Amino acid sequence: MRPPTLLIAICWVNAFAAEPTGAEVFEQFCSACHASGPHHPGTQLLAATRGNSRSVLTDRTDLTAEFVRSVVRNGLRTMPPFRPTELSNAQIDAVAKYLSKQ
Amino acid sequence: MHDVLPPALTQTQLDTALQQMRVVVGKDWVFSSEEDLSRYRDPWSPADDREFKARAAVAPDRIEHVQQILRIANAHRVPLWTISTGRNLAYGGPAPRLAGSVILDLKRMNRILEVNEKFGYALVEPGVTYSDLYRHIKERGYKLWIDCAAPAWGSVIGNTLDHGVGYTPYGDHFGMSCGMEVALADGDLVRTGMGALPGSSSWQLFKWGFGPYVDGLFTQSNMGVVTKMGIWLMPEPAGCVPFLITFQKEEDLHLITELVRPLKLSMVIPNGAVTTYATWEAAAHCTRAKYYRGQGPMPDSALRRMVEDLGIGMWNFYGAVYGPPAITRIQLQVVKDTLLQIPGSRFYTEDDRPADSALRYRAQLMRGIPNMAEFAIVNWYGGGGHINFSPISPPTGEDAVKQFHMIRARMHEYGQDYLGEFAIGWRDMHHLACIAFTRDNEAERRKAAELFGVMVRDAAAAGYGEYRTHLAFMDQIANTFDWNNRSLWRLHERIKDAVDPNGILSPGKMGIWPKSLRGDAR
Repeated sequence: MRPPTLLIAICWVNAFAAEPTGAEVFEQFCSACHASGPHHPGTQLLAATRGNSRSVLTDRTDLTAEFVRSVVRNGLRTMPPFRPTELSNAQIDAVAKYLSKQ
Repeated sequence: MHDVLPPALTQTQLDTALQQMRVVVGKDWVFSSEEDLSRYRDPWSPADDREFKARAAVAPDRIEHVQQILRIANAHRVPLWTISTGRNLAYGGPAPRLAGSVILDLKRMNRILEVNEKFGYALVEPGVTYSDLYRHIKERGYKLWIDCAAPAWGSVIGNTLDHGVGYTPYGDHFGMSCGMEVALADGDLVRTGMGALPGSSSWQLFKWGFGPYVDGLFTQSNMGVVTKMGIWLMPEPAGCVPFLITFQKEEDLHLITELVRPLKLSMVIPNGAVTTYATWEAAAHCTRAKYYRGQGPMPDSALRRMVEDLGIGMWNFYGAVYGPPAITRIQLQVVKDTLLQIPGSRFYTEDDRPADSALRYRAQLMRGIPNMAEFAIVNWYGGGGHINFSPISPPTGEDAVKQFHMIRARMHEYGQDYLGEFAIGWRDMHHLACIAFTRDNEAERRKAAELFGVMVRDAAAAGYGEYRTHLAFMDQIANTFDWNNRSLWRLHERIKDAVDPNGILSPGKMGIWPKSLRGDAR
């Protein structure tokens, strides 16, 4: 049987576990398609349709948080929507803030 | 979009059921607004979203809630359409076959219940993706490899249940599954194989159990809801050498296939090997527009310029060998001695082509490293939509050439580039041909769907059946499997009527309909 102090310590750590940052959300859920360089279909498509200067999301300065939230949650053309069961509002807010550099 | 109800279901029945489901999972996890439901669509689909529109969605996070939802749906005759992660895009994604169904969204059931390094397996829930499992294993330092489908966001369970494949020696995903837990339409819970013996420590070790092997009934079907599944994981090998062999002539396809077959049968090449055509290969490097912007299929002159410019072959064969260098050296020599007989062929490993993005992502897949790079194929035309045509044949040169010419002719007839590859398994060959279209263009979408239907008929007439398909074509393809007056589908229907008499589980999946919706009743 665990000593009570250890159990309390585990609960305390879990209660105060940090929410993932926007960079972490981007890395885990977005980078496979949107990181820079070849091998990433989202970046490739943006280069073909919007030009190289707008192809790498993390380099862009024209993205608003509202736009990112809308595109991630609702999709946009080839990019599919991400449902609340896949990404929470908090995760989307974090990545929106990260990409809009707010 | 207008509200849709499935046949014989009233608004009152649905509202009552949804309210009861809200009590079970909480109101935040029952979705019924237009905005919510717009996310349960397949953005790459050849069909109009209205044809396959969900009426609501419910998302449990534990097995007890799944059972309660099933009992509620059964009591009120509400059809449920089950999804794992809903990322089977271009096959329907999270959308239901029967418009008006309630989606049973299992993405929140995303626990990795066990990873066993000693015996090489994992036990997972439906919401676990290949990326999730890979990350879990890496973070904990297990010496195990996964076998992933080409897109990393797919569900381990979902892909397996749809008979998906991968590119390591564990590429037959259903073949590498072991033991399931299944919730039946009435809420009863079953564990298959050795899992039916309480306290068994072999549930994920011995597939067959005692008595009839039922796991297959829950793949590509609607007989139950799989809530847990065991998957075997390859012990990390002492080495792995992925390779690419390029071939210069279209006519080489015959001999490539004939020479690869004995290497696959004898497991000299133990993994899911692939022969890609020039256009499919090129898509990993660039879009079509770089070499041709005109209408109709890319002319030969542009094709050859592209092949030379990119340093690829008209055909490109990918395989890998696994084990310590002393073994892989010999295996590679056998591969070279066999396949390099073909004039103009050239052998490469990753060190030979460090900037080759196709070889890089294929090598990752052959090592079980999930990525999304294969979706460059969706960017070839850039329209987003595509349908995958994938008939099965024996792995012979004759069949490969016959299919290549048959399918290319049809694709050219409809103004499309032939975008294809042959995936060679142990004793089977999947010919994947990708029909691309601009999703927003209704005319293009309809033409693509028409082309697909024609190719299904051509292939069936030649004895080649499909292995997997989009919602819109499930009935058509089911009808090609009509030996002895559709006896196999009549058997599916008899089982369906027995285990799901009210027909609430994924009606229409793979052309299996409940009695109330068969034939003219639909």
